[in-house]
Amino acid sequence: MQDKILELIIRTARELGEDELSLGGDLDADTRLFGADGVLDSMGLVTLIVAVEQAIEDELDESVALADEKALSQARSPYRTVSTMAEYAADQLQGG
Amino acid sequence: MHIDFLREQFAKNRDSDALVWRDQVFSYEQILAEIDGWADVLEKESIAKGSVVSIEADFSPKAIALMLALIERNCVVVPLSSSVQNQIPEFREIAQVEVVISVSDEDVSEISRTGTKVDHPVLVDLQAKAHPGLILFSSGSTGKSKAAVHDFVPMLEKYKVPRHSLRTISFLLFDHIGGVNTLLYNLSNAGCVITVADRKPETVCAAIEKYGVELLPTSPTFLNLILVSRAYEEHELGGLKMVTYGTEVMPESTLERFHELFPDVRLLQTYGLSEVGILRSKSRSSDSLWVKVGGEGFETRVVDGMLEIKAKSAMLGYLNAPSPFTEDGWFKTGDAVEVDGEYIRILGRKSEIINVGGEKVYPAEVESTLQLMEGVDEVVVKGEPHPLTGNIVVANVKLGTDETLAQFRKRMRAFCSSRLARFKIPQKVELVENSLHGERFKKMRK
Repeated sequence: MQDKILELIIRTARELGEDELSLGGDLDADTRLFGADGVLDSMGLVTLIVAVEQAIEDELDESVALADEKALSQARSPYRTVSTMAEYAADQLQGG
Repeated sequence: MHIDFLREQFAKNRDSDALVWRDQVFSYEQILAEIDGWADVLEKESIAKGSVVSIEADFSPKAIALMLALIERNCVVVPLSSSVQNQIPEFREIAQVEVVISVSDEDVSEISRTGTKVDHPVLVDLQAKAHPGLILFSSGSTGKSKAAVHDFVPMLEKYKVPRHSLRTISFLLFDHIGGVNTLLYNLSNAGCVITVADRKPETVCAAIEKYGVELLPTSPTFLNLILVSRAYEEHELGGLKMVTYGTEVMPESTLERFHELFPDVRLLQTYGLSEVGILRSKSRSSDSLWVKVGGEGFETRVVDGMLEIKAKSAMLGYLNAPSPFTEDGWFKTGDAVEVDGEYIRILGRKSEIINVGGEKVYPAEVESTLQLMEGVDEVVVKGEPHPLTGNIVVANVKLGTDETLAQFRKRMRAFCSSRLARFKIPQKVELVENSLHGERFKKMRK
């Protein structure tokens, strides 16, 4: 599940294009998304989160909230890297 | 006595066309006869002077004559059109309707009594003054419908000034301030109103051709539907001289495209509200959103970027909400405007401004940009709460292409990146199948 979501996040982020991402190289699981050295600012992050939520709904037929109180109050932010976001989304989908 | 000036005008223009309804032309003589007919019926049925009477009908010779006969009898008129079908019981109750007169599609009327006793102070005052009244419900596209009560006496005053009339289509509804204005303006100048069976672009364009319509008063949403449907290609619209638009913010892109297609049609923005009536207005030019509003009986001012109006013919008050007027009688329209000398430009409803991370977004600006995109048939932009930025910009789009959401979003982002500030580009897009406007051809942002 997590791999599938990882792939989905990377694909969605690429679709958002260069305006939202200040990418040096390619995008992979370890790419820093938000925070120190992140490729996204807060507008970019919101756009990515909404797009990922919609993609999960479309492709996996499940709805997930990636930016609710719970996500924001995590000790370690789910938005640090592509893989932490995927991990958080997978946890939420499995009722975590 | 209140409609004596109309009766005189009708008598002077007996043979002129007053109304086209169901492909039949009615003269002013026929309308006069209908009014007299109603006066007799109201007398025979013992409808007390000053009663609150609902006219449940769309524009028709009978419905129009009934409205005038009720004014003559000092009644309080509550027009309710088919577009509010589901709310009729609720609206009757709010307006304290005592007598219901419905006029069917076949122009057959029926009278019934509700047993309601009028006790609302605003209505009681009106009855004590022996003035006819008018109750209009706000469209409620962004909340609950409010019932505005008008005194017909000052309202009718402005129609006593003779003006030039054009053959006009009755696009706006019978129970809308714009529809009532179109009707009274034309009747008082012995003009002709052309009614349509429905408000599809095809039907309206056909009526313009067939009956030589010169003026189409409508909404930006409907102009966009005409463009998208290309209904104008099937009909000769050369007789059309003027299009007036109002009731919502005009997207710049719609105005430009319409003006390009019809360079000889004058485009005029109108401004009016159920609470204060219709102001006189003058657009800077056909392709300009800058407009001067005001005229006899109206004062305007802009406070903190918001338009305020003081009107001689303002409503007396709401029946179901506190007075919206300041102590010295100014009405806060809730419309945010830009000012350039005598001209204003309407940006949008204050309540519809989307605050994204501290930045203001007006839905109309975003809609206007998205409508420039190939394949976008209709679009409505609104805000949605979001924990990260307070709100996000959401675009509901009706597409004429078979793109997937991801494909469209990518194209949209590319298109908007050079045209809109980043925070204004919709963070969320939803594709929809159904039309995005209500019965009044106004975008639904609820």
